[in-house]
Amino acid sequence: MDARDHKLTNFSSKDFEFIAKRSREIGSPQAIIDVIPYGKFIGVEASVIENEIQYTMDRKKTNIGNPSLPAIHGGVIGGFLELASAIESIYVLEINAVPKVVDFSIDYLRPGRYKKMYASCTVLRQGRKLINVSSNAWQENKKIPVATARCHFLVP
Amino acid sequence: MSVDLKFKLFKSAMKLAMERTGHGAALGLKLTKVEKGLIEMIFPYKKEVIGNPITGVVHGGVIVSLLDTCCGCAAITVAGFATVTPTMDLRLDYMQPAEPEKPINISAKVYKNTSNVVFCRGVAWQSDMENPIAHCVATFMKLSKKK
Repeated sequence: MDARDHKLTNFSSKDFEFIAKRSREIGSPQAIIDVIPYGKFIGVEASVIENEIQYTMDRKKTNIGNPSLPAIHGGVIGGFLELASAIESIYVLEINAVPKVVDFSIDYLRPGRYKKMYASCTVLRQGRKLINVSSNAWQENKKIPVATARCHFLVP
Repeated sequence: MSVDLKFKLFKSAMKLAMERTGHGAALGLKLTKVEKGLIEMIFPYKKEVIGNPITGVVHGGVIVSLLDTCCGCAAITVAGFATVTPTMDLRLDYMQPAEPEKPINISAKVYKNTSNVVFCRGVAWQSDMENPIAHCVATFMKLSKKK
C-alpha cells in the first residue's frame, strides 16, 4: 500500500492501523511516512539508528525560502519537526492512529543552509490525554542545532 | 523616489518572490493583499501536502509554512526595505482541522514594531475568519542587509 502517488481514495483508519503496526514489526518508521504525502513533498525520510529514530530532510529546490542566501524556508523546518514529532509518537508510543496536533512552538537558532537536515525527537510526557514531544533539527553537527521545537498532541 | 512608488515596487517584488520562487511556488500560494503591516494570502488545496491520508486534511506543517511566510512578509513591510527579518520564534495553536478540498485564507498583522524586534499575529481560516483553523504569534529580528 503506498499513498505516495496520491492514491488516497479508500484509505481507511484500518489501513493506517495496519501500516503503523507493520512499521514496528519491520522496525521501519519510514513505512508510516510513506503513506503521508506531505513527507514526500518536503523529502523526509526516517531510519532507526542505535535505538533512536533519525529523520532526514533532503536538499530540495522547493524547500527554499530565501533564494538569495539560499536558505531553507522556516516553515518547512517547522513542518519537518512537526511531522517528525507525529511519527515519533505513532512509532514509539504504539499509537495506531494519526494524533491530533494541539499546538506547536518553534525557536529558530540559525539559518537552515541549503543542505541536508537532520532531526531527532524525544517524547517528554505521555499522559492520558496529551503527549508532549520535543524535537531538534541540525545540519552538520548535532551539537549545533538549527531549530528546536515543542509539540502537543491529543491522544487519539 | 516617492515613498508611495517605492512601496509599489516593493509590493510587486515581494509578490514575485513569494509566488514564483522556492516553497511559496511549490505550495501555489497567492498574495491577495499587501499593506504596511498587513498581509493576506490564499492557499489552494493541494493533494501533495496531505498529512492525514484517511481524511485528506492538509498537514499541520503546511499551516506553519503559510503563517511563517505571511507573518514574515508583514514584518518586512514595516521593518524597512534595507533590512532582513529572520524568524526568531513562532507559536501555533490549532483550533480545528482544516476541511479538505477547500482553500485556506491566511492573514497576518504586525502589532508591535520596535527598534530590534517585530511582533506579528497571524490567523488561518476557511469560511469564517471568526472561526479559524489556527492562530499564531511570531517574532522577527531586524537585521541590516550585509553589503
